[in-house]
Amino acid sequence: MREPNAIDFWRGFALITIFINHIPGNVFERYTFSQYGISDAAELFVFLAGWSIGLATRGRDGKPEPRLTTVLRLLSRTVEVYRAQITIMALALAMIAGCALYLDNPLILEWHNAGGFFADPIQTMVGVVVLTHQLGYFNILPLYVVLIAIAPAVVLIGRVSRAALLAMSLTLYGASLVFEWNFPSWPGEGDWFFNPLCWQLLLVLGFLANEATRESERLRHLWRSLMPLGVVIVAVGVVLAVLEWRPDPMLAPEPRLVFTFDKTYLSPARLIHFCGMVLAFQGVYALLAPRLGPLARFLSGLGRNSLAVFSMGSLLSLAGQFVRFQTGGVIIVDVSVVGSGLFALGFTAWFVEWRSRKPRPARKAPDAASPSSA
Amino acid sequence: MPAPPAASAPAEAVDQSLSPECRVPGSKLYTLARLKAVKAALKEKRPVRVLSIGSSSAGLGASASYPVKLENALEQALPDVQVDVEARGLPGEVASGAGERLRSMVAEVEPDLVVWQVGTNDALARVDIEAFGEALEESVKWVKSHEIDIVLIDPVFTESLADDAYYTEMVRTVQDVARREAVPLVHRYAAMRYLSTRGTTEVHMLGRHFRLNDLGLRCMAEHATRAITLSLLQPDAAKLDASKTDGSKADALKADAPKAEPTQAGAPPLDPAQTGTPGSAEKPAPPKQP
Repeated sequence: MREPNAIDFWRGFALITIFINHIPGNVFERYTFSQYGISDAAELFVFLAGWSIGLATRGRDGKPEPRLTTVLRLLSRTVEVYRAQITIMALALAMIAGCALYLDNPLILEWHNAGGFFADPIQTMVGVVVLTHQLGYFNILPLYVVLIAIAPAVVLIGRVSRAALLAMSLTLYGASLVFEWNFPSWPGEGDWFFNPLCWQLLLVLGFLANEATRESERLRHLWRSLMPLGVVIVAVGVVLAVLEWRPDPMLAPEPRLVFTFDKTYLSPARLIHFCGMVLAFQGVYALLAPRLGPLARFLSGLGRNSLAVFSMGSLLSLAGQFVRFQTGGVIIVDVSVVGSGLFALGFTAWFVEWRSRKPRPARKAPDAASPSSA
Repeated sequence: MPAPPAASAPAEAVDQSLSPECRVPGSKLYTLARLKAVKAALKEKRPVRVLSIGSSSAGLGASASYPVKLENALEQALPDVQVDVEARGLPGEVASGAGERLRSMVAEVEPDLVVWQVGTNDALARVDIEAFGEALEESVKWVKSHEIDIVLIDPVFTESLADDAYYTEMVRTVQDVARREAVPLVHRYAAMRYLSTRGTTEVHMLGRHFRLNDLGLRCMAEHATRAITLSLLQPDAAKLDASKTDGSKADALKADAPKAEPTQAGAPPLDPAQTGTPGSAEKPAPPKQP
């Protein structure tokens, strides 16, 4: 079990933010950082995932592990994430259907985009399994599956040449923005909510940021010295968010997506804002950790077991939405829902680690002298 | 054609141009307003692009047919006109950012007409009604500012929410915004409420509320087409427009009246004025626009 560290801490923070943001209308939503800037927890999550891939594919001494091991490790991770996605989709659909039956209210079936599944299960079932049909608020894991699936290529190319990796990633990103390439949704029209062709850039940036800063003192120094720039960018973001100033997509010059604040295509504005946030807040963990020990431990615990915590968080936020629907969104309800949700997330993290700490001891093979085989 | 209701008539006649299972009195179904962009497209004899935005089942199952049905119904109602309907789902709440996605979608598709089913997601999320109303009005204003027509469809009616004050308030907010912005509105809530009072032999395995939902989805294309074609007949004169707005105000008030009506089967209230006056005198297939 890792010691609390910055990456796990911020990942835990992202998970909590995502959990709160997935209960729309609740009173805590306005206090999440997504409301004060133009990027949000999804960017943080993917960037940190990229960073951890860099960490995970090196041995303890920091040397990169053999190529085959990397490929297999990331492949097994892909399967794990895919499994989680299918499981939570099934549970979420069951929760929605169950709630609709219990309340005798067919409107509930529309929740989270699920109306499509109940209207036409035949095509949609296939779509769910191949990840082209996504429930609302359950869009991050399909993106994550695709990103981890291409991660071996990212790591191996990066080992050969970081510049080449960055160039390829930027080219793909740029082309997708200009030509509006995206993975299609099926059934139904439209595309994926998170465009993997664009979001892969964040993964690569996270990976490269880890690679670059681990080796070069000069780059680490540069990283630190850019903090004031980061603060400026964050301040601009706050102003834009508070004034609700957004570029009008109809008036933006071609290529349109380069100039709007588009989440699906990870518009440059959002990317720059996020980089500003990373630069501005880079030192915060080091400042906070000694002063807020229990909080740092709690968040790091969540971050260490991010897949399980994210899965539980998605389902809990759905349950929270049902509770708010029935009771009407009063403050006391919001507080209890979010509070019990956070408690449950903490428990999930602890439970997952307990399970891995208590493996069943290997059975010994019965030998000829034992009484049972007599 | 519906005859003008006499003072002693117990019920208002239903709109005969709809299929039997979907027949609803005109005043319960639509508020009309001009559709300039669509008229311009008809004048220029180019295909009419329609962007249909639904909450989630847009494009699948019972409403899978909705975009196709809408396209066919519009092409039938407007002979020699090609209509292209593009259907998209808009997950999320208007009050928290769906407006942004709407703008991106509109910028991508560049339609002449947007048909927007609005309010369901926000109602489910119990968002603050004022915030919703403001965000909705902003989005409608934005669409109009780009010379694109917009037709709103208010939220679904279901029995368990019939007496829910919040939900009814939400429906009223959509009606208010439609009236203030002078855009056509399909009164899905009132129409489905009316349909729920009619007896039927149709049975759904999960009960009559699910049946009504299915029916509502099936009828939506017809109802929307009716509102659109009647709106296209609206004369351009500003004076007549003002009287339509008054008519729609009366209609919005009447749409509230069903709230007080008993939910068991009974005659719908008498409506002295019908919105969409052309409806009482027009022929089944409106003539092609010059």
